[in-house]
Amino acid sequence: MTQNSTPKYSRRSMLTAGGAAAASAAFLAACGGKTTVTRLGSSPTTVKMMDAAVTDVVLLRTAMSIETMVSNLLSDKVITSLADGSAASVVSGFASAHKANLSGISSLITARGGTAFNGTNEKLMIAYGQPALDLIATGKDKSDVLALAHALESLTAATYQYFVSLTNEHSVRAAMMRIGATSARRAAVAAQLINPGTQGFAPGIDDKGVATVATLPSSFGGLSAQQVALGPVNPESGTRVVVLMDTPSLNSLIY
Amino acid sequence: MENHQVDLPENSATSRRRLLTSLLAGGAFAAAAPLLATRASAADETTTTTVAPPNRDAADNNVLNSLINREAQTVATYKTAIAATKNANDVAALTLIHDHHVAYEQALKGYLGRPAVSGNTTPLANVTGAFPAIAAQLSAIETATMNQHIDALNTINGHDAATLVASIITMEARHSAALALVSGLAPLSAAGD
Repeated sequence: MTQNSTPKYSRRSMLTAGGAAAASAAFLAACGGKTTVTRLGSSPTTVKMMDAAVTDVVLLRTAMSIETMVSNLLSDKVITSLADGSAASVVSGFASAHKANLSGISSLITARGGTAFNGTNEKLMIAYGQPALDLIATGKDKSDVLALAHALESLTAATYQYFVSLTNEHSVRAAMMRIGATSARRAAVAAQLINPGTQGFAPGIDDKGVATVATLPSSFGGLSAQQVALGPVNPESGTRVVVLMDTPSLNSLIY
Repeated sequence: MENHQVDLPENSATSRRRLLTSLLAGGAFAAAAPLLATRASAADETTTTTVAPPNRDAADNNVLNSLINREAQTVATYKTAIAATKNANDVAALTLIHDHHVAYEQALKGYLGRPAVSGNTTPLANVTGAFPAIAAQLSAIETATMNQHIDALNTINGHDAATLVASIITMEARHSAALALVSGLAPLSAAGD
């Protein structure tokens, strides 16, 4: 007669040990201190990114950078040399208005213990500001002046509207929208100068089937990227480069 | 005849249920450990000085109801303006803006739900005359409506309501400027610059 006793290492005990080992490993991984690991060759050390919170002051500083960027773009030599007649005075007026906004926003920042930011938004200039200027300089199309003004004013209005969703303080929300509304007004005026009259209020298409610039493109203020066709016409495709202008995001805020 | 006998304890010290529980607990801890470690280090380095607003706040109901009333009155005003306008393009433009205000009223009512008022349907003005005069009056009404919404942002606590009102303000600013321009104002004056 053969008697088989329980094995020394049962499935149950293996599972118990395995679970305990996994939990211990995880615990040690979470709590473990720095361990010196021998390196072969050289490798760059990792620099930890700074922890930065999106505060009301950060949003206001970013708003200043946008106002400066728009003012600089609209008063750039490329634009002023192309603008003629009423477009010249309108674009110049828009640029001045953006510069005038800076002092009000600066006061809001300093009242909250922050430091005003007087520079332009470098990230957005690289992303679409400078490319837009370069395209206009190459194309030398006078209609690009108002097209750029319309896109930039719509972008600024959308920026303030977006910032309301990130702002904590009530009075800052209201102050932002008071400034943002002036940009929305300018966007409507630029749209009317491009496509005048009440027939230009609603979105539509021209006789070639191309979408026209609408003064009132939607029921509610939109936050999607502004699309503006600028620069020379491609002789092969017959199209122009479409520049996308997005509202500032986490990587283009001024912390 | 061979007898195969397995000796099992009558009451197992570690039941299958207990084993599974310990495995699950171990797994959950393993998954949560890195998160806990990250949070702990971040909490040491960042300090938040402002309190994030709530998504909704019942205290906003009164101010939002006042905006509903304003939008309902604006809708009624546009109805009279459309009736007083002859040109088809002008009628289409005013109807478009009328529809926007209907959308604002509905959006605010939809946001509030049961506490929403039905809305005052008394026109804000008796808009008459040639189209430039009508446009000028409507532009002034749009500006006043927009300002009421901006002032409301000073008191609105709920994040979602503030976001909705902001999206309305952007378009009412556009309405106002567009109407000012077609009423005959110079571009920079229409822009408010």
